[in-house]
Amino acid sequence: MGKDTLTELKVRHAMRKQLIVLGPDDTIDCCIQYLIKYKVNAILAGRYGEKPLGVVSKTDIMGAWYSELPLSTPVEMIMNSPPLFCRPDDTLDSALNTMKSNKIYRLYALEEGSNAVIGAIAYPDIVGLLYHYCSHCDQGLFNKRKEMEQDRVKRYKVHEIMTKKVESCQEDIALESVVEILSASRFGAILIVDNDNYPRGVISKTDITLCYRHGQDLSVPAKTIMSSPVALCYEQNPVESAIKSMIIEDLHRLFVIPENRQAVSGVISLTDAARLRSGSCHACISSRIRVDKN
Amino acid sequence: MKTTAKDVMATSFKTLRPDSPISEALEIFKTSKLDGKTIFGIMVTDKGGSIEGMISMYDVLLFLLPKHVKIWGNISDIEIEGIIDRIAGKLKNLFVGDIMTPKVISVTPDTHLMMVLDIMIKKHVRRLPVVSNGEAVGMVYISDLFNHLLERA
Repeated sequence: MGKDTLTELKVRHAMRKQLIVLGPDDTIDCCIQYLIKYKVNAILAGRYGEKPLGVVSKTDIMGAWYSELPLSTPVEMIMNSPPLFCRPDDTLDSALNTMKSNKIYRLYALEEGSNAVIGAIAYPDIVGLLYHYCSHCDQGLFNKRKEMEQDRVKRYKVHEIMTKKVESCQEDIALESVVEILSASRFGAILIVDNDNYPRGVISKTDITLCYRHGQDLSVPAKTIMSSPVALCYEQNPVESAIKSMIIEDLHRLFVIPENRQAVSGVISLTDAARLRSGSCHACISSRIRVDKN
Repeated sequence: MKTTAKDVMATSFKTLRPDSPISEALEIFKTSKLDGKTIFGIMVTDKGGSIEGMISMYDVLLFLLPKHVKIWGNISDIEIEGIIDRIAGKLKNLFVGDIMTPKVISVTPDTHLMMVLDIMIKKHVRRLPVVSNGEAVGMVYISDLFNHLLERA
C-alpha cells in the first residue's frame, strides 16, 4: 500500500457536520426541497438521535418519477436501507476504499460508541482537503510566491485524470429517455449536443428532480430543461485550476475540450479529483502520490 | 390592558406563491419598503391566502453560498461584485417554493405580545406571520415589537 497525502488523515478532518435528516414519513416533495435548498445529493431518513433507517439520493428520486409515484409518497418507500457508515477516527483512505468497493458516493460518520450520526463524507469533501493542502504548499499553483518566478513544476493536467467516456444525447430527445439513460449511468449529468455534436447544455440529476417537483411533462424535449451554456475547460488546464473553478462556481463537473475546440473529449468531476488522493502537482510524486485508477 | 400581536403587526405586506420565480422575490427584497423599512422576509401563500412557507434573505444567501465554502479561506481572488447576477443562471429554473422555509411558526392576532417575544427569542426569528382563520393577516417584526415596548417604557 503506497503512502499518499491522505495517509494518517482521519474522516473527522474532512467530514461535513451539517446534517439533514428526514422523517421516514416525510414526502418525496419535502425531500427534493431539502436536496435543493442544502445542495446535497442525498439525505438520511430516520429519527434524530437514532441510527438512521435509510438514505434517499437524487437517483432514487428519479426512479420514483419514472415509476410515476406521486410527490406525496413517503421517502420510506424509496429509500435505500441501511446507509453505510464509518467512524470519525477511520482513515480517509479506508473510507475512500469503502466507497469505491461499494460503488457509493458518501458515508455517514457515527459517533464513537454510539449510533448518533455526527457527519457525512463524500468525494468533494476530500477534494476540499487536498485543495487546502495544495494552497498551503510552496509548489501550489495559486501560491503568491509562485507569481514572481517561472513555474517549473510539472502539474497534473485535466486530461490525465478526466473520465474519457462522456454520455451525451441529442437536444430533441424526450426527457423520459434522458431519465432512463441517467438512471442506468454512474454519472450525475448528461451532455446535450446538437446535430453537429456541439455541446449545447447539460441535464443533471438535480435538474430532473426539480422537473419532477415542478410537475414537468416527461415528454418535453431535453433542450427545454437543460442548463446552458456548458461549463468547459481545456485538456491542458492544470487540475488545480479546474478544481478551483468547480469550487468557486459551485459546479460538480466540467466538460473537457481539446485546445482546438472540437467536440467534448472528457469530463472532470470533483470525484475524479478525489481519486488523486494527493496534491495536484508532480512535486508530491516522489514520496506520496498514488493515483487511484478507476 | 392586554397587548397582543394585532397591536404591533404590519397589515400591509407582500406575498408570493410557491411557483413564483426567485427573481420576483429578489425584486421585492431590492425595491420594496413597507412602513418605511426594507423587508427581509416574505410570506409564501396559496391562492386562498394560507401560509405555505416563508422566503427570507437567509434562504437566498444560503443558496448563494458555495457548497465548499469552508475552503474559500484559501482562495484570495473571489469576485463578490455581481455575485447575485452570476448566480442568477442557477436560480432561473427555481421557484420560491424550492428554497423557502416550509414549516413556519405563526401566531394569531390575539397571541399575547410576551408569547410572541418568547417564540422569537427561542426560535431565533425576527418576524412572525399572523394567521386568522387559516389566512395570513399580518406580520410582527421584532423591531416593531421592540419600539412598541420602548414607547411604553
